[in-house]
Amino acid sequence: MLTMNHLAKVYRTEVVETYALRDFNIDVKEGEFVAVTGPSGSGKTTFLTIAGLLETFTGGEYHLDGMEVSKLDDNARSRIRNEKIGFIFQAFNLIPDLNVFDNVEVPLRYRGMKAAERKQRIMDALERVGLASRAKHYPAELSGGQQQRVAIARALAGSPRLLLADEPTGNLDTQMARGVMELLEEIHREGATIVMVTHDPELAARAQRNVHVIDGQVVDLTEEPRFHSQTSHA
Amino acid sequence: MPMDILPILASLRRHKVTAILLILEIALTCAIVCNAVFLIGLRLDRIHTPSGVADNELIMVRMSNIGGRSDVRARTLEDLAALRGIPGVRSAAILAQTPFGYSGTTSSIKLSSDQKLPTISYVSTYFGEGVVNAFGLELVQGRDFSADEYHWLQDLNLGLPGSSPRSVIVTEAVAKRLFPDGNALGKDVYIYDEPSRVIGIVRHLVTSQEWVPGQEDYSMILPMRVSPDAGMGGTYVMRTSPDQRDRVLDAAVAKLKGLDPRRVLTQKSTLEKQRATFFSADRATAGWLIATCAALLVVTALGIVGLGSFWVAQRRRQIGVRRALGARRVDILRYFQTENFLLATFGIVLGMGMAYGISLFLVLQYELPRLPAHYLPMGAVLLWLLGQGAVLSPALRAASVPPVVATRG
Repeated sequence: MLTMNHLAKVYRTEVVETYALRDFNIDVKEGEFVAVTGPSGSGKTTFLTIAGLLETFTGGEYHLDGMEVSKLDDNARSRIRNEKIGFIFQAFNLIPDLNVFDNVEVPLRYRGMKAAERKQRIMDALERVGLASRAKHYPAELSGGQQQRVAIARALAGSPRLLLADEPTGNLDTQMARGVMELLEEIHREGATIVMVTHDPELAARAQRNVHVIDGQVVDLTEEPRFHSQTSHA
Repeated sequence: MPMDILPILASLRRHKVTAILLILEIALTCAIVCNAVFLIGLRLDRIHTPSGVADNELIMVRMSNIGGRSDVRARTLEDLAALRGIPGVRSAAILAQTPFGYSGTTSSIKLSSDQKLPTISYVSTYFGEGVVNAFGLELVQGRDFSADEYHWLQDLNLGLPGSSPRSVIVTEAVAKRLFPDGNALGKDVYIYDEPSRVIGIVRHLVTSQEWVPGQEDYSMILPMRVSPDAGMGGTYVMRTSPDQRDRVLDAAVAKLKGLDPRRVLTQKSTLEKQRATFFSADRATAGWLIATCAALLVVTALGIVGLGSFWVAQRRRQIGVRRALGARRVDILRYFQTENFLLATFGIVLGMGMAYGISLFLVLQYELPRLPAHYLPMGAVLLWLLGQGAVLSPALRAASVPPVVATRG
C-alpha cells in the first residue's frame, strides 16, 4: 500500500542543509494499522506530509498503491490526495465558516461528485461517527472530540485507500481521546489502512505495528539503543 | 467541477460586515460611474458637434473703429479686396456671426403670416455676403444667393423700405423641422413676419451661440451685407490652408492696420481656437468626471485587493487544508474569483438601483436626459472585470499556498 525506499528529505538554506529524513524505509501493507512514534523533531510529521503528498521529497522512492509518485505533477498529486488519502489532523482543521455538513462535503466537491451522491456519503460518514444530528452545527459549537469526529467523517466520506492521522488525539482530553481511538480501531477493523503518527506510547500500543523514527530514520527497537533514542513503550 | 457558490455564500454570511462594506463600495462606484460615463458621453458628443464649416481653415479678425465713419461701406469693400490679395487666402468675407461665439442673432420662422406661434422659435441667423463660400458649407439642395439678392443690414435695422430679405438658405435640420413631410426648397416661410423663399439647403451649420440640446443645427443664412459699423459689427472671416493660418492672420492684421491705423484690433483667432474656447467648460467637466471615475475605480480596486489580501492571510491555514483535501491550485484561484464575482454581483445589483435613483435626481433637478438603460449592463461588466482583475493578485497568492500548511500552519 505504502512503500518508501531510501527516502530522503533535505531542507536547504544558503548556509545549512538539514536532513529531516535520511535513508528512510517503510512498507505498510493494505489493511494494516501502523503507529509511527518517535521524539519531537525525529521526522514523524515530515514522513506523514510526504506520505500524504503534502510535500515532495529529495531522494529515494515512494510507491503509493503501486504508483511511483515522485514524477507526478501538482494536479495529479491533488487528485491522489483527494481520491486515495484521508487526513486526520491534530488540530482538526475544520473550516470554521462552514457547518459540519459543508465541512465533510469539501473533499467530495473537489472530486466533482454529484450533489445527491455527496449528500448520501456525507450523511453515511456522519452516522458512522455519531454526529448526523449535528450536521447544521458549526465547528465552534462542538467539543474538541466532536470536531475530531467530524474530521474523521470528512476523511472517511471519500472512501480513501489510506488514512493518515497526525497526532489525532493530541488536542483532546483522555476521555475524548479514548473515544476517537476506539473509532479509529473500529474503522481499521472494517478494513481500512491507517498510518498514525503519535508520541503517545499508550496510543501506539493499540496499533497493529509500531515504527519508531529517530533522526529521520526508522530504527529497529530490538537493536541496541542509539545515542539519540528514547525508551519506547511500544 | 461544481461551483462553490453555496459554501461561499455560507462563508460570506459569517463575515457580514466586511462583505457588506465591499458590496456598498462596489454599488456606489457602479452608480456613480454609470451616470458619470453617461455625462462624459454627453459632453464629448457636444465637443464633437459637427459645425458644417471648414473648422481648420477659418481665421477671423475683428476691428473696431474709433468714432463713426461715413464711408464705411466703401472702406469695407476696400478691406475685403486687400484681404483677398494676401497670398494663401482662398476667400474673405465680413460676417456678423461666426460659429461657437458667445453672441448671435436668433429669429423665429412661421409658415404663414397669420400663424400665431412660430414653427421654430429660435433659429440662429447668419448675416453676411458669401457665407456659404466663406465657411465652406456643403450646399445639398438649391443655390447660393446671387449678388442682387443682398441688402445692407444697416438699412434693415433702420427700417428702410425694400431692405428686407426675400430669400433664405436653411440647414437640413431646419428644413426638416419646417416641412417634415416634404421638400422645403422653393417654399415660402415668414421671418420677421416678412415672406422669404427657401432657395438653398446646407447639410450643417452650427448655431452661432449656445444651443438647446438637439437643436445645434437650427441655423439659417439671410442675404444681408454687413459692415464693421452695422450695429452688431462684423468679423472678417478668411479661409486658408491649415498650415498657413498663423501667417495669414498676421498678414491680415497688418494689412487692415495699414489701410486704417486708427482701428483697434479686438479679435484675432482661428475658428479652431474659438471652438476650443467654446467647449472648454465641457472639456473641463468631462476631465473632472473622468478623473473622478478613475479615482473611484482605483479606490474600489484597492479595496478589493486589500480585502482579498486580508482574507487570504486570514484563511492561509484553511487554504492549506483545502489543498490537502484535494483542491488544485486552480480550484483555490476559482474560489476567490467566484467569491469576488458574487460580492461584485450583489454590489452591481444594488448599484443599478442607485444609478437609476441618481439619474432620476439629475433629471428632476437639472433637466438632464435620463440615463439610458444600456449604461447599466456596461457598468456591470466594467465592475465585474475590475473585481476579477483586482482579486487576481490575492487569489494567485492564495493558490500558491502549499498543502503542507495544513499540518504546519
